[in-house]
Amino acid sequence: MTVFLSSLGFGLISAAVLAIATVGFTMQFAVTNVLNLAYGSVMINSAFVTYFLNYHAHLNAWVAMIGGVFTGAAASYLLNRFVFTPFQRRNLPPITIVIVALGVDLCGTFGLQAIIGGSYFTYRQSQGRESHFWGMYLSTLQLIIIGICLVVMGLIHWLLKYTRLGKAMRATSANPSLARNSGVRTQRVISSTWLISGALCGLAGTVFAMNTGVFYATSAQLYIVLLLAAMFLGGPGSVYGAMLGAITIGVATELSAGYFNPQYKEVIAFVVLLGMLTFRPFGLFGSEKTI
Amino acid sequence: MSAISFYVATIIVYGAVDSMACLALNVQFGFAGLSNFGFIIFQAGGAYAAAVLSMGPWQKSNGGFQQYVLGWHLAWPLPWIGAALFGGLLALPFVFLVGKRLRGDFAAVGLLVSAVLLNQLVNNFVPLFNGAAGVSIVPAPFSHYWNPQGLGYQFAYGGVAVVLCVGVYFLLRRVTESPWGRSLRAMRDNDIVADALGKNVRVQRTSVLILGGMIAGLSGAILVGFINLWAPGAWGYAETIVLFAAIIVGGAGNHKGAVLGALLVPLGFEEITRFIPPLSNPALVPALEWVAIGLLIIGFLWFRPDGILPERRRILSGSAKSPPDSSSTESDSLINLGNLEHMDFRQLLRLEGDASDHSIILSTDRLTRAFHGVSVVSDVSIEIQRGRLTGLIGPNGAGKSTTLAMLAGTLAPTSGKVLYEGRDITSMPSNVRAKAGMIRTFQLASEFKKLTVLENLVSAIPRQSGDSFVGALRGRRFWGRDDAQNIERASEMLEGFGLSQYADSYAGGLSGGQRRLVEIMRALLAQPTILLLDEPMAGVHPNLAHKIGDQLTRLVASGMTIVMVEHELAIMDAFCDPVIVLAEGRVLAEGTMAELRAKKEVVEAYLVG
Amino acid sequence: MRFSKMTGRGGLVNHSKKRLVLVASALALVASVVTLPIAAGTSGATSFKGSITIATVAPFTGADAALGPKYETACYAATQAINAAGGVLSKQVKCKTVDTRGDPADAVPAVRQMYATTSNLVLVIGCTSDEAATVVPIFGAHKTVSFCMTGQSEFDAVHYPYFFRLVPPDAADSVAMVQIAKRHSYKNIALAFGNDAGSQTFVAPAEAAIAKAGMKVVSNETLDMSASTFQSEAESIVQSHPDAILMEALGAAGVALLSEIYQLNGNKMIPTIGTSAMIDPVFFSGVTSGPIGTQNFISAFDADNQTVNASGPAYPLYRKLVLEQAGKVPGVPSFPGLLSANGTVHLYDGINLAALAMDMAKSTSGSKYKADILKIAEGVKGAVNVSSYAVGLKDLKAGKKIHYIGVGGTYQFDSFQTAFGPFEDDQFLANGTTVAVGGSLGYCSLTECKSTP
Repeated sequence: MTVFLSSLGFGLISAAVLAIATVGFTMQFAVTNVLNLAYGSVMINSAFVTYFLNYHAHLNAWVAMIGGVFTGAAASYLLNRFVFTPFQRRNLPPITIVIVALGVDLCGTFGLQAIIGGSYFTYRQSQGRESHFWGMYLSTLQLIIIGICLVVMGLIHWLLKYTRLGKAMRATSANPSLARNSGVRTQRVISSTWLISGALCGLAGTVFAMNTGVFYATSAQLYIVLLLAAMFLGGPGSVYGAMLGAITIGVATELSAGYFNPQYKEVIAFVVLLGMLTFRPFGLFGSEKTI
Repeated sequence: MSAISFYVATIIVYGAVDSMACLALNVQFGFAGLSNFGFIIFQAGGAYAAAVLSMGPWQKSNGGFQQYVLGWHLAWPLPWIGAALFGGLLALPFVFLVGKRLRGDFAAVGLLVSAVLLNQLVNNFVPLFNGAAGVSIVPAPFSHYWNPQGLGYQFAYGGVAVVLCVGVYFLLRRVTESPWGRSLRAMRDNDIVADALGKNVRVQRTSVLILGGMIAGLSGAILVGFINLWAPGAWGYAETIVLFAAIIVGGAGNHKGAVLGALLVPLGFEEITRFIPPLSNPALVPALEWVAIGLLIIGFLWFRPDGILPERRRILSGSAKSPPDSSSTESDSLINLGNLEHMDFRQLLRLEGDASDHSIILSTDRLTRAFHGVSVVSDVSIEIQRGRLTGLIGPNGAGKSTTLAMLAGTLAPTSGKVLYEGRDITSMPSNVRAKAGMIRTFQLASEFKKLTVLENLVSAIPRQSGDSFVGALRGRRFWGRDDAQNIERASEMLEGFGLSQYADSYAGGLSGGQRRLVEIMRALLAQPTILLLDEPMAGVHPNLAHKIGDQLTRLVASGMTIVMVEHELAIMDAFCDPVIVLAEGRVLAEGTMAELRAKKEVVEAYLVG
Repeated sequence: MRFSKMTGRGGLVNHSKKRLVLVASALALVASVVTLPIAAGTSGATSFKGSITIATVAPFTGADAALGPKYETACYAATQAINAAGGVLSKQVKCKTVDTRGDPADAVPAVRQMYATTSNLVLVIGCTSDEAATVVPIFGAHKTVSFCMTGQSEFDAVHYPYFFRLVPPDAADSVAMVQIAKRHSYKNIALAFGNDAGSQTFVAPAEAAIAKAGMKVVSNETLDMSASTFQSEAESIVQSHPDAILMEALGAAGVALLSEIYQLNGNKMIPTIGTSAMIDPVFFSGVTSGPIGTQNFISAFDADNQTVNASGPAYPLYRKLVLEQAGKVPGVPSFPGLLSANGTVHLYDGINLAALAMDMAKSTSGSKYKADILKIAEGVKGAVNVSSYAVGLKDLKAGKKIHYIGVGGTYQFDSFQTAFGPFEDDQFLANGTTVAVGGSLGYCSLTECKSTP
């Protein structure tokens, strides 16, 4: 039981970071129909902006985080405006955009590495006291991150359900041409979506780096696997599905690490992803028409 | 001087290995449209297979420093053959990712993730291939008789590698320049349409995965025999991205382009960076290399997506003239289908049976299709008579195209049955139905854009001897005559429709009406017993539409069965005899146009819907 | 819809000619860049006549990027003294780096290119576990003497005549670590080793030595070096209540694991014993700039190491030379931290041994001088002890036989040309340097430590 509960705790923090990231990722897919494989590079760049603001400009870490969020939003918006949209206008098959995204990911990640070098960086501050409750071990920092995640999820829910923009986003993702014909300013909606999802991406990168404490330019390169697993589990393009998928994957990987072997903890994410792609590429709750 | 020679020998081997890999990946990606983001798995698998087959068993007793499986100590060329076979075998688990149901980019991502996963697994599970340290002291071929470190050996090795690479080039060219290669390219251009014309997309993709896997495996074997060590650090998932960059730069869909790309990117680009003197930050040059690869990918896809050596046009007509690749829409009204009047459809289309037989050939039993719980088609039960031009009409959103799709098999019903001559074919996939004679067309443009018009037409002809992997391997001597006859038939058809001058034009550049005709011709050449046409007149000049309608009537009189989904009442009026009206997913009424015009509910549906 | 790029606009003749020009120019560009430096002879460093080159073949990028600079520093330090004493056979010695990127498939062309573009290559240093297995045979084929840093046990079992190793096999390193644990009377031991090539070879010998010493392994975690967090592993270790942790995990993974153990253990560090490779300025700076902090870390961390004769005659010159390289070698955060790093110590000694051997054999050709390396390291009867290149050269010119005793002490080569001396227990000081504590651990073999060799 102790293993279960402590792993559950680790799973929760893992899920919190993953949830913030996956919601952003799936929003981008929902509204643009593109698998943005450059997402990881925006995450890590935002993380480093926060780090350098904190370390060199001596800003408080939470203030510096705003810089990271802003970087993510700006980078994602520019990426869509100057890369994805022009390519999409050429009516190329979706795979071409994915390859372009891979190219952008290389540029973003290794451009960063060219600037900061190949070695790793550490956050100086302690993670705070380790709280031990209900069998779980979570540091103060981790509790704060989980809190941030819950607040952000709440904000996204409010955005989607109660604001005009949210309704417009849902309409655009369901049926872009119908939405346009119904008067939705799709171009505006798409830009807003990329700004918001980009902010989520930046936030995710920042808390990812804070949580691990030790990070480098290619830290987030393999994060895309967890993102894809979480997104496809909940259904590509579905925000609530992404939240559910992230919790499941986050907890499942840590449980498998606790019970089985931590070296193979990501195997379960792979299996889930490949399984979903084979049997239900529209997610557990989606249906064939959604893709 | 001899030190340079060693370097040259190394370059030759690496060049051959990279070229082989790019040739194989190009067949998958450039010719068949299969984005194999996990390509490196197959090369790595071949390398491991060659290594463990050529090594003796590991010995735990004397503190053996590496663990691996098998260890049969086989002599060359068995390890290399084993490597190729293993590379092909590795393709089989991925069959589930390459069916037609999964989007191309999703499948690609699945393959990418598999590459990451397998690398992690091999890295962590030591008893398999010795984990991160990898297998080392892999014996080079004939190392007992000939010192592998000698210059002569190295050049001989390079020579063998080049010979194998050339062999692979010719083998792949034989495969892609065959009718089967044409089907692969058709699948690449539009897999749904290829499927609807009878091609088995899953089999084609699996074959291409296996073929590419075997060649990748062989390339891995050649590499491991040369460097005598293979570890997970050598086959990260990013290696595949470099190969993709190579193909994009060199030219997808062109074998020489693949070789050129291999020499420029993984070979040339990598080697150039070694000559850059070490800068202040040693991480700078390798990092910038990756940035350059990324920029190459984006740059080429934007400015020159066809690469340096674009795909060649296949001239089937034998004419030496340069074909026109574009035409304006005005020419639509000038299209004269007059030649068709002289053609005997029964002979041209191999129609059999009694043209006056109007028995029921196709029927549905309470066909239903729902999305997200919303019914698009509900309880539709219809009967289609032989030798008639049945119209399927209704207002927007009535479910006409959906019904047609379920008849053709490109969409599965939620419930209900489709019956062909009384047999339940509901679970029969669309390509099998196509082979049985049920051919459909599509509402939106569906020509194979990067195939010429003649290629579009010939690709539809069923039962081609060269339209299989084995047939392609047997070469032109096997399928040449058959193919020539098919080209002849297609040319005849083209002549009939008055479009002969576009025989070697790329189908994607023609005007709307011309492309519609190409589609119809293609459907006819597929030897249909039943033609399912989805709004064939949409966007076509009214003159041309009328001419097409006339010919359809003639077709039907020759014994063909046609079901036509149409929106325009005028066309229905002129040509369709039995007409079925759908509204809101249900059958509203059936009968001749005259009968239907008299029915109140039909008129209302059109006014309201 | 027009696809202008795909249509054969502009006549067949023009199009293919344009293509041909493009292709030809692309190939010409590649060919010229590749062949020009070869034609010019050497690349990079100045190539005035009468110089010889020592190449450092190691990872400078990738996961093991910290290793290359350590070795390069040894080269600069040693050659500075050698050149000041007049060079080898009156020729100046240059240092060159060859980046293997930690990838064996990359190492082979890198090494081949090195041979193609380096005249007067006399010695290779470096070659780590990432690539040794594939490049050592190439060095042998070219009759180039190599001083390698790999601890892989394959080199305990196969003869390579041009391969010399001044560091112990990983198995002996493991035994030394266990010896440290024995000293502190630890009973329950946790093992934490990375899954990379260099680290896994420690596990089995450590387990055997622990069993022999009557201690117990309470936890054995293999760390996936590409992972970003190690919460489960850390928790598992903490829950097993070990007296000490034996570890080798270089790079970010090691720092992350230690930080997480610290965190989960109530902000307290569990005594940790590392391998000699963990005496590394990058690792030190990474751990101490994190939440653990300098004081907590240095009071709980030991590493086994080859004995560095800090009070011996070779040390002062060595120290001066290494510290003078500050700013000349990129990628080293702290030069004092290198003073006891085994890569720097033993390659410095190795270069001195090779240089003196070349002088003794009056030849820079590996086949001629390699036997003299063994003679100088052994010390034949009547040899005088020397501790620096300058003194050794003077004595050789005076006709004497010499016995080199270096920063790492005396080197006794075994039949596989591996030499290592006694081990010591090192602890870090706040400035990143290390001191030996508690006296020598003795001579550690693949199974046990003894006070005499």
